[in-house]
Amino acid sequence: MVEDEDNEWGQLNLTNWKGLSATDPIKSVEDKWLLLPAFLKVKGLVKQHIDSFNYFVDVDIKNIVKANNKVTSDVDPRFWLKYTDINVGFPDRNEESSVDKKVTPNECRLRDTTYSAPIIVTIQYTRGKNIVQRNVNIGRLPIMLRSCKCVLTGRSEEQLARMIECPLDPGGYFVVKGTEKVILVQEQLSKNRIIVETDSAKGVVQASCTSSTHGGLKSKTYVATKKGKIYLRHNSIHEDIPIVIALKALGIQSDKEILLLTAGNTDAYKTAFSANLEDAAKLGVFTRHQALEYIGSRVKVNRRVMGPRRPAWEEALEALATIVLAHVPVKGLDFRSKAIFVATMTRRVLMAIDDEHMVDDRDYVGNKRLELAGQLLALLFEDLFKTYNSNLKNAIDKVLKKPSRTSEFDAFNTMRMQGDHLTSGFVRAISTGNWSLKRFKMERAGVTHVLSRLSFISALGMMTRISSQFEKTRKVSGPRALQPSQWGVLCPSDTPEGEACGLVKNLALMTHITTDVEEEPIIRLAFMLGVEDISLTTGTEIYGPHTFVVNVNGTIIGLTRYPTRFVAQFRKLRRARRFSEFVSIYINHHHRAVHIASDGGRICRPAIIVENGRSRVTSEHIQQLKKGTMTFDDFLKKGLVEYLDVNEENDTYIALYENDIVLTTTHLEIEPFTLLGAVAGLIPYPHHNQSPRNTYQCAMGKQAIGAIAYNQLNRIDTLLYLSVYPQQPMVKTKTIELVGYDKLPAGQNATVAVMSYSGFDRLADAPLDENGQISKKYDIIQLDGLAGVGERVDPGDVYVNKQTPSNAADNTFTGQAASVPYKNTPLTYKSPVSGNIDKVMISDTENDQTIVKVLIRQTRRPELGDKFSSRHGQKGVCGLIVNQEDMPFNDQGINPGN
Amino acid sequence: MQTQEDLEPTVRIRELKKDRVNFVLGNVDLAFANSLRRVVMADIPTVAIDMVEIEVNTTVLPDEFIAHRLGMVPLNSSNCEEAIKYTRDCTCLAGCSYCSLMLVLNVACHDDNTMDVTSDHLDLVPFPTDPEQQNPEPGEELTQRGELFGQPVGKHEPGVPPVLICKIRKGQELKMKCTAKKGIAKEHAKWSPCSAVSFEYDPHNKLRHTTHWYEKSIKEEWPLSDNALEEEPPREDEAFDFNAKPNKFYFEVETDGSLDPQEVVMRAPVKQTAPAAPAATSGGVSIMGAASKTASKRPCEEAGSTSSDDSLAKRLEPALRRVK
Repeated sequence: MVEDEDNEWGQLNLTNWKGLSATDPIKSVEDKWLLLPAFLKVKGLVKQHIDSFNYFVDVDIKNIVKANNKVTSDVDPRFWLKYTDINVGFPDRNEESSVDKKVTPNECRLRDTTYSAPIIVTIQYTRGKNIVQRNVNIGRLPIMLRSCKCVLTGRSEEQLARMIECPLDPGGYFVVKGTEKVILVQEQLSKNRIIVETDSAKGVVQASCTSSTHGGLKSKTYVATKKGKIYLRHNSIHEDIPIVIALKALGIQSDKEILLLTAGNTDAYKTAFSANLEDAAKLGVFTRHQALEYIGSRVKVNRRVMGPRRPAWEEALEALATIVLAHVPVKGLDFRSKAIFVATMTRRVLMAIDDEHMVDDRDYVGNKRLELAGQLLALLFEDLFKTYNSNLKNAIDKVLKKPSRTSEFDAFNTMRMQGDHLTSGFVRAISTGNWSLKRFKMERAGVTHVLSRLSFISALGMMTRISSQFEKTRKVSGPRALQPSQWGVLCPSDTPEGEACGLVKNLALMTHITTDVEEEPIIRLAFMLGVEDISLTTGTEIYGPHTFVVNVNGTIIGLTRYPTRFVAQFRKLRRARRFSEFVSIYINHHHRAVHIASDGGRICRPAIIVENGRSRVTSEHIQQLKKGTMTFDDFLKKGLVEYLDVNEENDTYIALYENDIVLTTTHLEIEPFTLLGAVAGLIPYPHHNQSPRNTYQCAMGKQAIGAIAYNQLNRIDTLLYLSVYPQQPMVKTKTIELVGYDKLPAGQNATVAVMSYSGFDRLADAPLDENGQISKKYDIIQLDGLAGVGERVDPGDVYVNKQTPSNAADNTFTGQAASVPYKNTPLTYKSPVSGNIDKVMISDTENDQTIVKVLIRQTRRPELGDKFSSRHGQKGVCGLIVNQEDMPFNDQGINPGN
Repeated sequence: MQTQEDLEPTVRIRELKKDRVNFVLGNVDLAFANSLRRVVMADIPTVAIDMVEIEVNTTVLPDEFIAHRLGMVPLNSSNCEEAIKYTRDCTCLAGCSYCSLMLVLNVACHDDNTMDVTSDHLDLVPFPTDPEQQNPEPGEELTQRGELFGQPVGKHEPGVPPVLICKIRKGQELKMKCTAKKGIAKEHAKWSPCSAVSFEYDPHNKLRHTTHWYEKSIKEEWPLSDNALEEEPPREDEAFDFNAKPNKFYFEVETDGSLDPQEVVMRAPVKQTAPAAPAATSGGVSIMGAASKTASKRPCEEAGSTSSDDSLAKRLEPALRRVK
C-alpha cells in the first residue's frame, strides 16, 4: 500500500509523459492571424462601402422600382406604362462621337468628368392597342470605384497599371466632375427598436420607437409617463392619448386583457398601471368604437384629395394602421401584433418605473445602425425616380390631352425627352454633399467629402471614418465617451481632438457592416423551429414564467419556451449556411426575449467558433489556407468562423488567446490587434504608449509626406505632396503589411540623438520680398500659349496665356465670330518660390469645353519651422539645422539625422 | 617634470588603407584635436557637381531629383588646393577650365531590360572655352592636376561598384552637362571628403567628461571600446584627478574616395584658404539658370570652426611629416 502510494507520487512527479511535460504549451493554432489577410482578400479594406453600393445597385434599386413601377394617365385611362426591370450598366464615355466607349476612373479625374454608368429600365406600355416592351436609358449613376459595376474590379495588377490605376487604392469613393468624393458612414440610432429612457429631472419615463419602412416613411412613436399616467404620443395626433384608449382602439377591449398584456401578473406593475384603466373609464371610453372616436377627433388630417369627410373613427383607424408604428404589419385590419407592440412598449415603461436600471443605453453600439453610401443613394434615387415619374406623367398627360395627333402616341419618345433629371440629381447631391429630399423629410448637408490625398494613409483613413448625427454643441459626454461595446468593431484610438472628439469614429480592421436580408424566410424558419405565433397568445402566456418572446427586427413574432435550445438550433442552421451569415440571434435575459436581427447597418465582425473547449479552426485548416486550398468563405461555410454583431457578442464568451479557452468559451478572437483601425494599426508597440499618444498619432500619421499611390506621377491634383526618398519603416506591424503601407510609405527611418541644447525653438514669419507690383512675364510661353514642360516659373510668370471674349456678359448676336473682341486673362504664377512646369495636359470635358491643366512642381528641403514627428504622437518644430561637423557623434563617427 | 605643452605632438598611425586612416594623436589639447576633426569633416576642399544643364530627361525622375543625386557623386579631387580655383576667386565670368570641370552624361536605353545609369556614365570632357572671353591670368592649375582629377571615384577601377544615379527603361534618355566646382562642406555636405570621422578620448571616462547612465552595472552596460587597450584602466581606489586633461585622441577618418585619407588629414592643419561660402541652393545643385541668382555671401569666421591657429598647425606639422 505504502509502495503503491509512493509509486503514484512518483508518477505525478514524472517530468515527461509521452514526451510532453506538464509545462509544455498546448498545441495551438499557429498563425491563425492569417485569417485576417484572407478576410481582407475577400472583403478589401473598404468592404463596407463597396458591399453597400453593390447591394443598392443589384437589389435595392430593383425594389424601389418595383414599388413605383406604374405610370398612368389621368387623361386616358387606357394608357399605362410599367417598369418591369432596371439595370445599371458599366461605366462608359457619355459622348456620341467617341469610338472607344471604355472609360477609366483616371480619365475622369484628369478630364473633370463623372465616372458614371447608364441606368437602363425595361418598360412595357400601351401604344394604341398594342403592348410594347422596350429598354430605355433614364439617366446615369455615378459608380463607386471597385464596386461590382466598376471596370477596376477583379483586375490584375498589370491590367490596373495599364489603366493608370493604383492596385493599393482601396476604392469605395466616386469620381464626380473630376474630384474624388467619399460618402462618409453615418451613425444613427437603430430603427424599429424600442428604446426606454428616463429623465430623472422631470421624472419622465418614456419608450420610443422610430419606425422606418420601405418607402422611406419615418415617424417616431412614444409611450411616456405624464403625471403618473402613461400616454401614447405621436406627431400625427394633436394630444397625448391615454394608453388604455390607444390599446382599446387597437382592438383590445377588455380591461383584463389590457392589464395582462401590459402588467402581466407582476403586482408592482399592476399597481402602477391601474390608474390608467381608471383614466379611460373616467373619459367614458369603454369600447373600441369609443376609443377610435376619441382618437379620431384628435388626428391631424391632411388630405389633399377632396372627398366626402370621413367619420372620426375611420380617420383614427387609418392613422393607427398606416402612420403610428408603421413598421408593424397590419394585414386586413388585424391590429393584434401592433396592439402587442404598444403593450410591450407600455410594459417596458412600467419596468423602468419599477426599476430604474431597466433602461436602454443610447450609446451602446448594439443600438446603433450605420448608414452607408448605398442607403443614401437609394433614398436619393427613390426621390429622383418619383419626381421623374411624376414629370413623365405630366408630359404624357400633356400629349394625351390633345384631341388629335399626327402619329400614334409613343411614350418612348416622351421618355427620351425627359432630360437628365436623374443624372444631374446624382451629380449635384454627391458634388455638393447636400441630401435634401423633401419627400422623406431629409435635409442633410456635408454628407460627402473630398477624398484627402495628402498621403496614402489619409485617403485610407477617410474611407473608414464614421460621422455621428449628434450635434456637436451638445454638452453631453455620453456619445463622446469610449463605449465598452466598441471592442473589436470601432477603433478605440482613432478619433479627432477638439470639437468632434468621440463623435467621429473609425472602423476597426475586421469590421463588417451588414446589408438588409429578407426577413420573411427567417420568420418562417423561426416558426418551424417551434416558435408559437404571437397572435394566438395573450398576456398570461407572454409573461408566463418560462416563456421568452421572439422578436425579428424589433417586431414580436411569437413565443418560445425553450429559448436556449431554439437559439442553439438557429445558430446551427446559420453555421450550416442555410441562410445569410449576417443574421444574428441573441437572448436578452432582462427582457426575457430572443432577438433575431436581419436588418442592414449592424456592425459585426468575425470570430473563431470554439466548441467543447477547443477551437474549431485547427492548424490543418491554416495549412490549407496557406496553400491556398481554402479561402475565408470556406471557413464560414464549414462553420469554423462566424460573424457576430454587437448584440450577439453579449451571448458569447470570447477568449482573447487560445490558452485562455475554458469549457464555457464559445469563441476565440482571430487576432487581438484587429480591434484597432487601419490608421492606429500603423503604430508600432501601441500598447507601450500612453493612450492619448495613440490618438494623437492617428491624427498626425495622415500628414506624413511620402508616396500617395502608384499612379501619383500621372495625377494632376490641386495639391500633391510627394517625398523624394520615402522609406518603408524598419519596425513594422502586421497591419502595415496588410494595408500596404510598406509599399506606399511616408517618412524616413531616422537616427535620433536626444540631448539638451541651449537655445529656443523658434518660429518666425518668413519675410517676403514685395517689390510692389510684379510685372507679368511671358517668356516661358510657347507657340500654343502654354508654358513649356521643364521651364522654370518665377513669381509673376504667365503659364497659360488665356484669352476670353470681352463681351461674354452681353448676349447680343453680332453674327461674326471673327470680330469678337478678346481680352487677356492670363494665368500667372503666384507662389513666392519659383517652380518648374512638370506637366501640361490639354483635353476637353463632357460638354466639349477645352480644359488645360498645368502641373507646377516645387522641390523643397526641410527648413526651420517644418514639422517633424515620430510614430508616437511626438511632434515638434524644427528649430535649428546643424552642420555635419557640429552634430553630436559617437566613437564610430555615426551622426544622427541620416 | 615636463608639462604637456613642452612635449611635441605625436601622431601614431595604427592603420592606413585606401579609404581610411586610423591614428592616435597625442600631446595636443582637446580643443585642437576637436578642431582637427571638424576641419577634416567640413573644411577640406573637394570638387563636386554644382550645376547641371539638362538637355533631355525622359526618365521617371524629375530634373531636381537627378541633379541632387549627381551632386552627391564623389569626384576625384586629389591636390584640390592647387589644381583648381574657387569660381568666386577666378577672374572668369561664368566658369573656365581653371575653376570648373565639365562632365557629360548621355545615356539612352534601347533594350528591353531596365538599365542602370551610374557614375561610370559620367565622362569628363575638356571645359569648353569661350572664344569671346580671354583669361587674363592663365594659372598653374592645369599642370597640378593628376590623371584622374575630376573623374567619378572608382570609374576605371575594377571591383569598385559605381554610384547608381537613376534606372531607365526602353525609350528613356538622360542627357546633361554637369559643371563641377571646388567647394567645402561648410557650404554643402557633398563637398565633404569624409563619410565618417570617429573620434574618441579617455575611453575609461577617467576624466568624467560624461556620465554613463546605467541600470544595474556600469561595466556590463557600457562595454569598453578597443581604444581602452591603449590606456591604463583606472584603479578601484584611484582618486579623481580634477586637474587631468585628455592627452590621447583616437581618430578614424573614412573618406568617400575623393581624396586619400592621408591627404585629408595632412591638409587639415594647413591654414585653409576658404574665406567665404555662398548660401547653399536647394539640393546643393543649381540647375542651369539658378546659379546666378544665389550670390549672397556670408563670412565664415565662426569661432573654432577653422584651424586658424598657425602655431598649433606648425606644431603638428613635424609630427605628420615624420609619419609621411
